[in-house]
Amino acid sequence: MLQDLSIKQKLYAGFGAIVTILLILLVLAYNNFSKVSEATRLDRHTLEVLLEADQIGANVLDLQNQVRGFMLTGEERFLTPDIDEEALLHKNVNHAISLTADNPAQQQRLRRVAAMIDSWQDNVIRPLTEKRRALGPTPEATASIARAPELFTGFASVSEIRQTLAEVSADENRLMAQRSAESAELHKSMSMVLVAGGAICILLASTIAVMLGKAILAPLNNLTEVVGRIAAGDQSARAKVLARDELGNVTAEFNRMAQSIEDSQAKELAVANELRAKVDALLDVVSKAASGDLTGRVTVSGDDAIGRMGDGLKTMVENLRALINDVQKAGIQVTTSATEIAASAKQQEATGVEQAQTSIEILSTTKEMSANTSQLLKTMEEATEVADYTTQATADAQNNLRRMDQTMQNMVAATDSINAKLAALSEKASNINGVLTTITKVADQTNILSLNAAIEAEKAGDAGRGFSVVATEIRRLADQTSVSTWDIEQMLKEMQSAVSASVMGMDKFSEEIRRSVGEVSQVAEQLSSVMDQVQKLAPQFDVVLQGMQSQAVGASQISDTMMQLSDATQQTVESLRATSEAVHQLQYAASDLQSSVATFAVHN
Amino acid sequence: MKVLVFHIGLDRYGMRLGAIARVLPVAGLKQLPLAPAYVAGLLDLHGAPVPVIDLSQLAGAPAGQLWFDTRIILVDYPCDGATRPLGLLAEHVAGIETIDEGALAESGVAGAPFLGRVAAGAGGMLQLVEPHGLLSPDVRALLFQPQEALP
Repeated sequence: MLQDLSIKQKLYAGFGAIVTILLILLVLAYNNFSKVSEATRLDRHTLEVLLEADQIGANVLDLQNQVRGFMLTGEERFLTPDIDEEALLHKNVNHAISLTADNPAQQQRLRRVAAMIDSWQDNVIRPLTEKRRALGPTPEATASIARAPELFTGFASVSEIRQTLAEVSADENRLMAQRSAESAELHKSMSMVLVAGGAICILLASTIAVMLGKAILAPLNNLTEVVGRIAAGDQSARAKVLARDELGNVTAEFNRMAQSIEDSQAKELAVANELRAKVDALLDVVSKAASGDLTGRVTVSGDDAIGRMGDGLKTMVENLRALINDVQKAGIQVTTSATEIAASAKQQEATGVEQAQTSIEILSTTKEMSANTSQLLKTMEEATEVADYTTQATADAQNNLRRMDQTMQNMVAATDSINAKLAALSEKASNINGVLTTITKVADQTNILSLNAAIEAEKAGDAGRGFSVVATEIRRLADQTSVSTWDIEQMLKEMQSAVSASVMGMDKFSEEIRRSVGEVSQVAEQLSSVMDQVQKLAPQFDVVLQGMQSQAVGASQISDTMMQLSDATQQTVESLRATSEAVHQLQYAASDLQSSVATFAVHN
Repeated sequence: MKVLVFHIGLDRYGMRLGAIARVLPVAGLKQLPLAPAYVAGLLDLHGAPVPVIDLSQLAGAPAGQLWFDTRIILVDYPCDGATRPLGLLAEHVAGIETIDEGALAESGVAGAPFLGRVAAGAGGMLQLVEPHGLLSPDVRALLFQPQEALP
């Protein structure tokens, strides 16, 4: 039951119990105290009554003494003292009666005393006083009065009054003794209440303090111990809920917090493990790729970051694999093409060298022509002096020109022969094309043959199984032949285009030579006209001379042109060599490319 | 089971080797006027006339050009208790493939009457062509006239 209370309720209940006991103790003490006060008041009252009774007795004696003095002396001065004893007596008696209003027995006694006093005064004091006064101041008066009967009744009355007063005193003393005993009893019980109440208070306060301490400290200690265990690493430690108060709520919340921390830690651990596994898988693929083996497959995928990274890596590796595959294929193709180019370049180079030789020949001829022209000029100069030699010299010049023309014709013939060789090359290429068509047809036939062989083998059943294998091999050979034929066709096409380019170059060269021939013809014509003029008119030698001079210039121009042509041809040969060199380098580079790309593994 | 693989359009089809007599290159065919469009013509097989039908046109595909791997598949067509030679013009004859009998399954779709079971392979699905269902009765009557009716 104590566990279901909150701490506030526990504190209120504990302190409330202590205060209640203190209040009860106070009420009991106050009660006893008022009883003791009442007893003290009653004691005082009793003492007052006793005092009044004594005073009444004293008044009665005084009154008796006054009367006796008057009777002995007869002097009136005894009867009129300073104090009126009778009035005092009445006042005291009335006071005593009023004091004993709560005690009817005492009151009855006192009323009897009052009645006796009245009768004593009326029957004794006043008759005696009258008699003595009547006797007057005679010596026998004292003796005669002494014998008076009233005097004896007076004694009896006084003694009766005193006896009654003694009874009153005795009764009051008895009451006082009784009250003293009650008062002592009250003191004792009050001491008892105080001692017992105090002891109970201390005991109760201690008990409540201990219980409250336990109720508050036990859950706190329990919680502290569990917090210590969790801090030491025991994630599964949980505090026991000891009570359903605020600390109980704190413990339950703490348990919930510890549970959620443990759950989230377990979740984080699982996520971290999964992530590490995926990263390991990715790392494996990447390590293989780094060492050149691109056959690794990425198995990680998904919509999260690592999954997207896995997808990206997969795409990257696949792209790289495809790229390297392509590069390997391209390397092979480049090598093949480079070889072909090298072959055709060598052929072109040979042609170029031939051309260069031809042009050197032309050049020498041209130089010769130039020299001849100079000679002719000299001869013409001489002809102005010696006319006889003129005709001879002109004839020489004509001869030289004819030779030159001959040389030119030779050159044209050489060019034509080159063209013819190229045409032969082209024709041979066409022949090869024809052969290739035949090979293609044969391959096609072989293919059909292999199909039919396989069909026959199938029909032969088990006996034809070996033949079936042979048929498959034949078909494969036919397919390979088709592929090779196609390759050769491509090469041939390239060669034919190279030959066409050479033919075009040769045509251009022939054109140049033909132009030179034309120029030479022009020179020959001029020479002829010169000769006519020389033969016709000697005086026109000056004109002829001028014509010869211009001819010499033309010849030297021809020579220069031919020099340039020769240089150009030489340059062509050199550039062809350079091309050949470059093609060699291309071949080396293609081989390097192939070997370096081959280090990558792209197929399983 | 071994089949000869060829194409109709883009799809792969196969014919059992047992049903095939020979495979011939495409030779000049004599046209047959007023015959159905899928009858390609008459083949001169060592002097004997053999009718040839175009499989692509028979299957409803547009008439294709002649490829370098277009072949005439010669089959012995069963007719009136005997067998008669029949040429099938097939495009893209790829070669011979071996198919596991267990991989064959019914197509479950009723197409042309000559189509048989299908098998999934590395190069795509392949459907068997059964020669005996190639010709409808009227075409069969048209192509294979009784011998006595011939002049």
